[in-house]
Amino acid sequence: MSHAAHEFLRSAAEKSADLAHRQIIRRGIDSYNAANVRGRSRFLDWEAARLRCQEIKWEAVNNLDRYLLEFEQRVKDRGGHVFWAENSEEARQYITDLATARGVRKVVKSKSMVSEEIHLGPALEKMGIKVVETDLGEYIVQLREEPPYHIVTPAMHLNRTQIADLFKEKLGDVDTDDPQQLVAAARRALRRDFFSAEMGISGANFLVADAGMIALTTNEGNGRLCTSVPRIHVVLSGIEKVIPRLQDLATLWPVLATAGTGQPITCYSTLAGGPRQPNEVDGPEEFHVVLVDNGRSELLANVEEREVLHCIRCGACINACPVFRTVGGHSYGTTYMGPIGSVLTPRLRGLDEFQHLSYASSLCGACTDVCPVRINLHHHLLHNRRDAVNASDRPWSERIGFMLWRWAVEDARRFRAAGWLARLGMRVVHRLRLDGTLLDPARPWNKNHAAPPAPAKSFRALWGKRNGNN
Amino acid sequence: MATTEPQTENPGRARILERLRTALRESTPRPLGAEGRSIFAPVTDVMARFQKECAANITECIATPDMQSSARAVADLLAALPPGEIFVQDSQALRRLAPEWQATRSIQWSSEGGPKESAQATITSAEALVALTGSVLVSAACGGRGASVVAPVHIVMATADQLVPDLDAAFELMRERNTVFQYSYVCLITGSSRTADIEKILVMGAHGPIRLIVVLALHHD
Amino acid sequence: MAKAALFIPCFVDQLTPEVGVDMVRVLRRLRIEMEFPEEQTCCGQPAFNTGYWSDARPVAKRFLQIFRNAEQVVCPSGSCTTMVRNFYPELLAGTPWHEEAIKVGQRVFEFSEFLVKVAKVTDVGASFPHRVAVHDSCHALRELHLKQESRELLRHVRGFELVEMPYSEDCCGFGGTFATKFGGISAAMGDAKAGYAESCGAEYVTATDPSCLLHIDGILRRRNSKVRTIHLAGILAQTAPRLERRAQAPATEGAR
Repeated sequence: MSHAAHEFLRSAAEKSADLAHRQIIRRGIDSYNAANVRGRSRFLDWEAARLRCQEIKWEAVNNLDRYLLEFEQRVKDRGGHVFWAENSEEARQYITDLATARGVRKVVKSKSMVSEEIHLGPALEKMGIKVVETDLGEYIVQLREEPPYHIVTPAMHLNRTQIADLFKEKLGDVDTDDPQQLVAAARRALRRDFFSAEMGISGANFLVADAGMIALTTNEGNGRLCTSVPRIHVVLSGIEKVIPRLQDLATLWPVLATAGTGQPITCYSTLAGGPRQPNEVDGPEEFHVVLVDNGRSELLANVEEREVLHCIRCGACINACPVFRTVGGHSYGTTYMGPIGSVLTPRLRGLDEFQHLSYASSLCGACTDVCPVRINLHHHLLHNRRDAVNASDRPWSERIGFMLWRWAVEDARRFRAAGWLARLGMRVVHRLRLDGTLLDPARPWNKNHAAPPAPAKSFRALWGKRNGNN
Repeated sequence: MATTEPQTENPGRARILERLRTALRESTPRPLGAEGRSIFAPVTDVMARFQKECAANITECIATPDMQSSARAVADLLAALPPGEIFVQDSQALRRLAPEWQATRSIQWSSEGGPKESAQATITSAEALVALTGSVLVSAACGGRGASVVAPVHIVMATADQLVPDLDAAFELMRERNTVFQYSYVCLITGSSRTADIEKILVMGAHGPIRLIVVLALHHD
Repeated sequence: MAKAALFIPCFVDQLTPEVGVDMVRVLRRLRIEMEFPEEQTCCGQPAFNTGYWSDARPVAKRFLQIFRNAEQVVCPSGSCTTMVRNFYPELLAGTPWHEEAIKVGQRVFEFSEFLVKVAKVTDVGASFPHRVAVHDSCHALRELHLKQESRELLRHVRGFELVEMPYSEDCCGFGGTFATKFGGISAAMGDAKAGYAESCGAEYVTATDPSCLLHIDGILRRRNSKVRTIHLAGILAQTAPRLERRAQAPATEGAR
């Protein structure tokens, strides 16, 4: 078992038993679900919207080179720079080099999951550059020195009292747990940072090829301030975020907002494509887009898995997942959590180390149901499992178990004998009161369940009796 | 425009493109798509829909007969705000209306640069108003980037003929005007800033403006 | 109506045979002729779900061989029906059995689906005067798109009171080998489900899938709960005692 798997099991066990945690998450998800239902009802035909978005992303991803080149050219036409980073290290290097060369001492950040993926924060801090998260949820978890709990609502595991105590300790000018006041305190604190930072780093929800602009959505306005005030704007984005046309946003923006938070559209849906132009009154002097591969081109080459790159990072699958609701976002130990994390992480970071995430699912299919771009998420979990087995990476006990299983089910008489033996074993274990103990072969089941009764006769025996044996 | 680049070499670029091209030699089947199905119900009454959506997303919408009346309405709004300068987009139209406000407020014009932190309000025009979502479309031409985000109050002076039914129409308008190739920044604003990051409770007034006010003149003059 | 071949899931055959027996009772009452292909053992789902596709394949082929000539197949489990209809084609893609998989898949039906859509019956003459909550098993709900069928059937059960359980569409946490590999998570999910069942005032929880019920039942009894579980077939197999029936409006005659 890999280290990551060990950690996951440990954290999952702890969180599964934490009823307080379960309640907080339940309330948050219920709130989201209510908003999402309202949001979907604003569409005449939500299914048509999903089909359209699937089509847009299919076109983008299956023509990725062409659209990325178009995007790059238009950005350069406006005086922006585009850097293609093969991996985390190259992306970090470009940004830290740029920051050093420009004398940057402070960076304000709008939410970017890719920045988590490449571990940018620590790299900048190591150079003595202060990094300030400006999305409120990210700001909160940054103060707590923990990773984001969820890609859309990073602090959903905390209640107002915990946040108030945190602000009291770190900001000082707070003596209430009223959310309104807490937000006002964050606004006051972060204002200083927006206006003193030399560099703003943002992610991108989409890279619009025909316009050569990034599309960035926030409700708070922090994304707009990060990309308007500091003299350098750096965009970090995975290469798969590209879409062909501006027009595509007419569907993608409402769908992303509905799936992400239940809103008809996010408060600030922004398009940025370059530094301040000669005919503009303000804006950054420099605009850099860092395109990150980091395993995505490999995933593209895997034709069966290619559609996973369609993900628009809305978080709907995470909200729908009963496993996520039980173990929480931190248990995954990865940048991306929930169903998309369980599908993507083994592919980007290695099946050998992360296959356990693909196994930690009951395959209920709720994720596939809600995905706005119609990724067949739970099928991809099955593919990950299959590939893990084919790589001979599974525990020997499991391999032997299935060899025995196959031997038993390939012949009806063997199957009947095996079943009879199993039922006999259950009766013996039960009579000796060994249910759930170390001597019980069915311990993995019986330690959490009251043992099921062992029937005296199988169905086929009862059928044979009634209908006369052939 | 270009400043010295710390890194001009990007060998990874060619390698990434090569990998993408190789990967894409094999295609995946095209999905069904929406096949002409309508995603949104068409907007029939743009004014009514716009006002309804503004109420829902908490954009204050004030209807006036003409631009001069709008200017007076804005003067009333400013009177209720704390003292301090205001930032105004430097356009012919707004220069003409400025006398309504100059008596009580010192104006910083956008031609002098972006708004200062101390601005109590910004006044700008818009590229369009979108009825489907009750949104205001602005570009860098509307007083710059900071104009619609820095100050606690953002006032948009618009006219009814700027209303378009939906996002498709808004993008079409942008295409006609070549907006994205003239400017580096566009924003579709829907309501004032907010967050639900604390217990999923909606709180108005995060980092962007706390109030968004659309003063909508039915006629130009 | 054509003869119905019975597809009895492996664990139903060996661990919960009453589910199969009850399904047979209902079909007999409806005068549907049945056969039980004795060579059947398992559809292969455990191996498929765990990623052992090369072990699942021969088992799937064997299943198809056994059922290829059946005009219709009935199964008291949404997940096993899903395996055949929705997953066999992918499992057997690129093999000569792919076509057969698609054809047979179209003729395999989950029990409630069979009654409502094939036999076109919603009143099977059952009686079960209790308050019952329905758990929507994931495969039946999301893979076979079944939700109203079981409720339709239950609506016609004499004395039956349907109680809508909150979060009835939430997964119970069984998930096959998931229940043993990730027992803590599985048990927590089952625990949540058990809590909802208790809070809605139901006497019983029912579902189309006996695997869900095995899991929920084990957890309810661990909690010393008063709520019990019963498969949909178990409810539909119940009829009123002869005395009471004579006093009622004409009901379908059924064998006991």
